[in-house]
Amino acid sequence: MRLACLFVPLFPLAARLRSEPELKGEAIAIFEGNGNAARVLAAARKARKAGIEAGMTLPQTRALYPKLIARGRDLECERAAQEALLEVAESFSPRVEDGGEGVAYLDLDGLPGLSGDGQGERGGPAISSAPPRFGVPRSEKSFGHDLIVASEKAGLPARAGVAASKLAARVAAGLPDSPAVVAPGEEASFLAPLPLARLAPALEIAESLERWGLRSIGELAKLPEGEIASRLGELGRALHAAARGIDTSPLEPRPAPLCLSEGLDLEWPLVTLEPFLFVGHAALERLMRRLESQAIACTRLEVTLKLDPDGHDARAIQLPAPTCDTKTLLTLVRLELEARPPGAPVVGFVFTAHPDRPRRAQLSLFGPAALSPDRLATTIARLASILGADRIGSPRAVDGHRLERFTLTDYSPPPPPRFTSPRRTGRGLLAVRVLRPPVSLEVILPSEDSESQGRTPRPISVKSVDGASLLVSGSVRIASGPWSLEEGWWTEAPADRDYWDIELTDGALYRVYRERGNGSWFVDGIYD
Amino acid sequence: MRASQAIALERLLEGEELGKKPAALLKGLGAKLVRASNLPAPRFGSSAAAGEESFLESCVLGLPAHTLIEVVGRRSSGRFSIGLAAMASSTASGESAALIDLGDNLDPQAAERAGIDLARILWVRPRRVKEALSAAEMLLATGFRLVVADLGLSPRGGRFVPDAAWVRLQRAARSQESTLLLLVPYRMSGIAADIVVSASAVRPLWQGNGRVPRLLTGIASRLMLERRGRETPGRSAPFSFAVAEAIRAGGRCSTGALTSKRNQAPDYFRLRAES
Repeated sequence: MRLACLFVPLFPLAARLRSEPELKGEAIAIFEGNGNAARVLAAARKARKAGIEAGMTLPQTRALYPKLIARGRDLECERAAQEALLEVAESFSPRVEDGGEGVAYLDLDGLPGLSGDGQGERGGPAISSAPPRFGVPRSEKSFGHDLIVASEKAGLPARAGVAASKLAARVAAGLPDSPAVVAPGEEASFLAPLPLARLAPALEIAESLERWGLRSIGELAKLPEGEIASRLGELGRALHAAARGIDTSPLEPRPAPLCLSEGLDLEWPLVTLEPFLFVGHAALERLMRRLESQAIACTRLEVTLKLDPDGHDARAIQLPAPTCDTKTLLTLVRLELEARPPGAPVVGFVFTAHPDRPRRAQLSLFGPAALSPDRLATTIARLASILGADRIGSPRAVDGHRLERFTLTDYSPPPPPRFTSPRRTGRGLLAVRVLRPPVSLEVILPSEDSESQGRTPRPISVKSVDGASLLVSGSVRIASGPWSLEEGWWTEAPADRDYWDIELTDGALYRVYRERGNGSWFVDGIYD
Repeated sequence: MRASQAIALERLLEGEELGKKPAALLKGLGAKLVRASNLPAPRFGSSAAAGEESFLESCVLGLPAHTLIEVVGRRSSGRFSIGLAAMASSTASGESAALIDLGDNLDPQAAERAGIDLARILWVRPRRVKEALSAAEMLLATGFRLVVADLGLSPRGGRFVPDAAWVRLQRAARSQESTLLLLVPYRMSGIAADIVVSASAVRPLWQGNGRVPRLLTGIASRLMLERRGRETPGRSAPFSFAVAEAIRAGGRCSTGALTSKRNQAPDYFRLRAES
């Protein structure tokens, strides 16, 4: 069995720098705790050069380096970084174990194109910047190098180690000369010269071993197992086995996550939208990069806001089609928050993306050009965010006689034909512009004779009422009608109308109707 | 730019007012510059030298690609019908088309009767001109081969759209090899439009004479080609659209007048002939 370990040193710091890349190169330290009792958890190289070490308090660090940038530990940030690290590992191997803070184990057995003999450690130019050629086996060292490059692309400076056990791989990954490969069966000899601290013994055991004068792992491995077990107990026996390179713990692959999330705890509460969107944009970008790396898209975005002083505000944004476009998602978040402000300052947030397969289509070589499903989905999502989801879609006719009715469905055009057919001429039908809602009219009628005879009188002159959205005014030159429409008499809003096609003196053609119930007139269409 | 400045620039480009070396350098630079008047005029396929019939075809049915076509007409001029006819032609050949409907005027039943495959139509209903133009640019960038933008009966703020917006749309249409068909009540796109067609001399066609009954059978109008590239040809052709029921009753829909054989009322109403 061959395993690789991906390890991110100073993980709390690396996770923070992944979320705030503008702090790279600055003297920054991550603290855990509150106020003056906060202690350094991890410090950047510039801060370490100034003498700042893990365990120091905030006043001590300020005394050493007054310009130190202090950041609290952000568990949400670390969780997202750990997820990103595991996703990097999953892009290399289908079996990945979550090893805790900044550690991921990969199963290398059966990976195609990987020579499993530990070469590269023994000789040969192992590190190559060129991509591996198809069909040519690459060394484990080259594989480790690829792992490191992929992690750095994800914003996490990692080290890699390859060995036959998790313990040896983890220790190898901790070495500064990365990637390190331990040849099969040489775990004990690899560990022997390393200091005992690499095995991270418990504090009491470490003190005992120091008192015995043991410094290296090899010195511990040479001692008899029974003597160690009788003096140090079960923990000592396990440590002795580890020192001999024996690690029987199996790889425990993690199940595939249902959704991906990115978030951040803010240093100060935000009360306006723009700063929040500025911070959220970076988080969304990281989230979309993770989705893209797995060739999936977001179909539903959940936004969870941590409010000051306490409380949460959660909301979900359903997308009309899966998309990976950050700009679109940011617009949707903006519109959602503008429509329903959270009502309290925001001190943290989490974006959770529910993934779905993006739409795919096989484009035809000879047929009409088809739309790229991904671009189409992004456009629809952006338009829906600008106009509203009810303002975009594919129209459908509704059974019935009322002309103003319609429905909208999701736009999902059928695939184009395989071959382009010649264009056909349209039927040349005169279209009607439907006015939604109908415009109320004031109508002059000739006399009451026809009405007294039960007929709808022919209009002589029409004029839209004051304040109407459309100006219609003029004498009727020709009127054709009435055409009766009666529908839904059993409903609460029945339609009982007499329609007329009228031509006004200016040449415009309108479709007007009179409600038979109350005698009011409306124009509901223009022939155009 | 004043005339003197223009002349100075012209001389500079020719290298007349410089010493030998700078002049040679500038001539080299000048060789890379092209005056706007020397730019190649856009060509619109095989229909360039066609007559009236193919002018209609090129304008409505076989829409020339990579262009911004503006159809101008007042109420009941038939411009909305031209847009639907273009979409019917496009979707019948299997392409997807988009309709930006500023006035929310589309009747899906009528569109279906006009031959449009509704499943291939993306219907966008913006509220403002600015939204409509943004949508048009996005849809062109998405790859729709035909985008019909109907700016309604009286687009508010339409006169205040900057020219740069129309130029952007024209470039988007050209770069995506798409057609943007702009249906407007008055000229809006300025110099950006590749083809401008105006509908004038609109005449409603009625069947029946005397007092009653009468039946609307369609409209007849004259389409005038006002601009084609840099030309202003001024050619025109008669054009007509018919009401569906008139066609079913035996009317003929083509260029020229409509004739119908017998009277028939619209079938989308439950009829009660009263007169």
